[in-house]
Amino acid sequence: MDLSPKTRMLLRHETVLLAVLLAELIFFGVAGRNFGTPDNLANIVRHSVEIGLLALVMMPVVLAGGIDLSVGSTVGLCAVLFGKLWRDGGLPWEVAAVATLGIGATAGGVNALLITALRLPPLIVTLGTYSLFRGLAEAITHGTDAFTRFPPSFLFLGTGRIAGIPAQAWIFMLVAAAMWLLVHRTTFGRSWRAIGFAPEGARYAGLPVGRRLAFAHMLAGIVAALAAITYTARFGTAKADAGTGYELAAITAVVLGGTSIFGGIGSVHGTLLGVAAIAVLGNGLSRVPATMSSAGELSGLLTGVLLVLALAGGAVPKWFAERRSRKARAPVPP
Amino acid sequence: MFRSFALFLCLGVALLTGCSRSGPDTGAAPSGGAPAGKRLTIAFMPKSKGNGYFVSCKQGADQAAKDLGAELIFDGPVSPDPAKQNEIIENWITLGVDVIAVACENKDGISTALKRAKDKGIKIVTFDSDAEPAARDFFVNQATPEGIGNALMDEAARLCGGTGEFAIITASLTAQNMIEWQKFIEARRMAKHPGMKMVALRPCDDLKDKAQAEATTLLGAYPDLKLLMNICSPAVPGAAEAVKQAGKAGKVKVIGLGLPNENRRYLKDGTTDTVILWKTVDLGYLTVQAAAALAKGELKAGATSFKGGKLGEFRIVGDNILLGEPFKFTKENIDQFDF
Repeated sequence: MDLSPKTRMLLRHETVLLAVLLAELIFFGVAGRNFGTPDNLANIVRHSVEIGLLALVMMPVVLAGGIDLSVGSTVGLCAVLFGKLWRDGGLPWEVAAVATLGIGATAGGVNALLITALRLPPLIVTLGTYSLFRGLAEAITHGTDAFTRFPPSFLFLGTGRIAGIPAQAWIFMLVAAAMWLLVHRTTFGRSWRAIGFAPEGARYAGLPVGRRLAFAHMLAGIVAALAAITYTARFGTAKADAGTGYELAAITAVVLGGTSIFGGIGSVHGTLLGVAAIAVLGNGLSRVPATMSSAGELSGLLTGVLLVLALAGGAVPKWFAERRSRKARAPVPP
Repeated sequence: MFRSFALFLCLGVALLTGCSRSGPDTGAAPSGGAPAGKRLTIAFMPKSKGNGYFVSCKQGADQAAKDLGAELIFDGPVSPDPAKQNEIIENWITLGVDVIAVACENKDGISTALKRAKDKGIKIVTFDSDAEPAARDFFVNQATPEGIGNALMDEAARLCGGTGEFAIITASLTAQNMIEWQKFIEARRMAKHPGMKMVALRPCDDLKDKAQAEATTLLGAYPDLKLLMNICSPAVPGAAEAVKQAGKAGKVKVIGLGLPNENRRYLKDGTTDTVILWKTVDLGYLTVQAAAALAKGELKAGATSFKGGKLGEFRIVGDNILLGEPFKFTKENIDQFDF
C-alpha cells in the first residue's frame, strides 16, 4: 500500500513535465522564428539523440541507486577507437561499428567489475573511469588526431532520413522501446527498482544484486558506444573530445524526468520527457529574437531552474506532509 | 499532499513560461518596428563566446550591423566545442538566416555543416580561422603568416640594433600555424637581419606558468640573450613576468603576439616593448561588412578589392579578404585599446 501513492506521485511528475513540454512547444511555436518547420523538428531530434541514448541507459543505473559519470568519456573513447579501426585498421565501417559496441561493453564491464567485485561506490569508480577513458582517447590520438572522410553510407546514419524521419531517430526509438520494456515489463526492471529502494533488502530477498548492477553498467557502455557511432556519423569527425559533458546532460535529463537520484523511483517515459523538455528549450531559445544571441547561456540557466523546481517539487510535499503529521500529533492531550 | 505538489509545479511552470515570455515581449518590440522580411539577417559565430578576443570582435560586428541596419545574431559555444558549432549552424539553416560568418574551431568538422548551409543558398564567410575553401565563399584573413613573421622579426631586429641572440617561446612544436610563422621568421632573418641569432625554441603548451618557467630557464642558460620573442599569447605576459622577476627588465627585451589587456601592465612598466596583433574590432567590423555585401550580391568571387564601410578599401587575394598589416601595440598607444 505504501507504493501506490508513490506511483501516483510519479504519474503526477510526468504529467506536469508533459505540460511543461507542451507549453514550450506552444510558446516557441508562436514566438520562435521557423520553430515548427519539419526541418527544425528534425534538427531537435538529431541534436538530442546522443544525450537521449545516454539518458536512457543512465536511468536504470540511477534507478538502482548508482550513477555512471563515465558515459561521456566512453563516447569519446569509442568514437576514437571506431575511427582507428576503420581508418588505420582498414575494416569496413559496419564491422568497425560492431567492434565498437564490444569496446563499449568492455568499458561498461570495467565499471561493473570494480563496482560489484570490489564493492567500491559507483560515484568513485566512474569518476575514475571518467578520467581514464577520456585520457585513453586523448593518448590514442595525442589529443590532436581526428578521423574524417567517412564514407557516405556511414554519414547517412547521422545526416540522412528514412521515411522522412532522421536516420538516427529510428535507432533511438528502437533503444527507447527496448529500455521501456526492460525497465517496466521484465524482472530486470523490478530488481533494479528493488535494489535502488533497499539494496540490503534486495540482497536478502535473494536478488542477484551484483549481476543486475553489472548488467546496467554494461548496457550503459554498449549504448554509449552506439551514441559514439551516431555522433561521429552526424558530425563527420571522430575526435577525443567527443561527448564531453554528456554524462551530466544525461543525468540532468534523468533527474528532470522524475527518477530519484537515491534510486528506487523512476520511469523511462519520464526520462524521455526530460530529454525532450531540455532539447526543445535549447532549440527554441535560439529562435526567439530576444534570446537569439544568448540561447546557450539561457538554456543552461533555464534547465537549471527546471531541475531545481523538479527536485523541490519532490521534496516540498514531503516536508508539508511531515509538518502536517507533526501538527496532528501535537495537540493530543497527555 | 498531492495537491500541494501539483500546485507547486504548476507555479513553477507558470513562472518559467512567464519568464521566457516577458523576454521577447520587451525585446522584440524594436526589431518588430523595422520593415519585416527585407532586413538582412547576419549570423556571427566566435569559437567561444567568453573569449576576450572574440568579445572585441563582437564590438566591431555590432557597429557594422548598426551601420548597415542589419540584424546580427551572435551565438556560439560557451567554451570551444566544435560539435556545438555544427549544431548552431544547423539551427541557423532552419532559422533562415541570409549569411553566416564563423571562426572555425575544427576545420573538418564544421565544413560539412557549412556546405549544407551553402546548398540552401546561405552565403558563408569565415574569419579568424578558416574552413575548407569549398565550404565558404570568402575568408577574412586577419594576418598572413608572412605578415606576422616579418613584423615580429623586423621588430626584434629594431629593438636589438640588428645584432644579438634571441629565443622563441611557442605554444607547441606541432601547432601548424606556429610552424608556419617560424618559417617566415627564419626566412626574414636570413634575408634582412643576418646579425640576429636564434639560440633556442621552447614550447609552453599555451600556458602562462609554463612560459614563465621556460623564460626563467632561458635567462639562466643564455646570459647574452637580448630578446624573448613569444609567438603564442599566454607566453607574452609569462615571459615578461620572468624577465621582471630576474631583474632584467630593459636588458632583455620582450615582444610577442598577444592581447593588449593581458600585457598592459608590462608594456606600461617597460618590461615588454611591443605586442603585435591585429585590430580585432576591425576584424569583426570587416567580417560583417563583407558578409552583408556578399548576401546582397555586391561582393562576388573574383573581386580584387572591397570597400568595408567606414574602414575604407581592403585588398582581396584569391578568396581571402586581407585585414592588412599587423598592428603594433606599444606603451604610447596601448591606452586607446581595451580588449
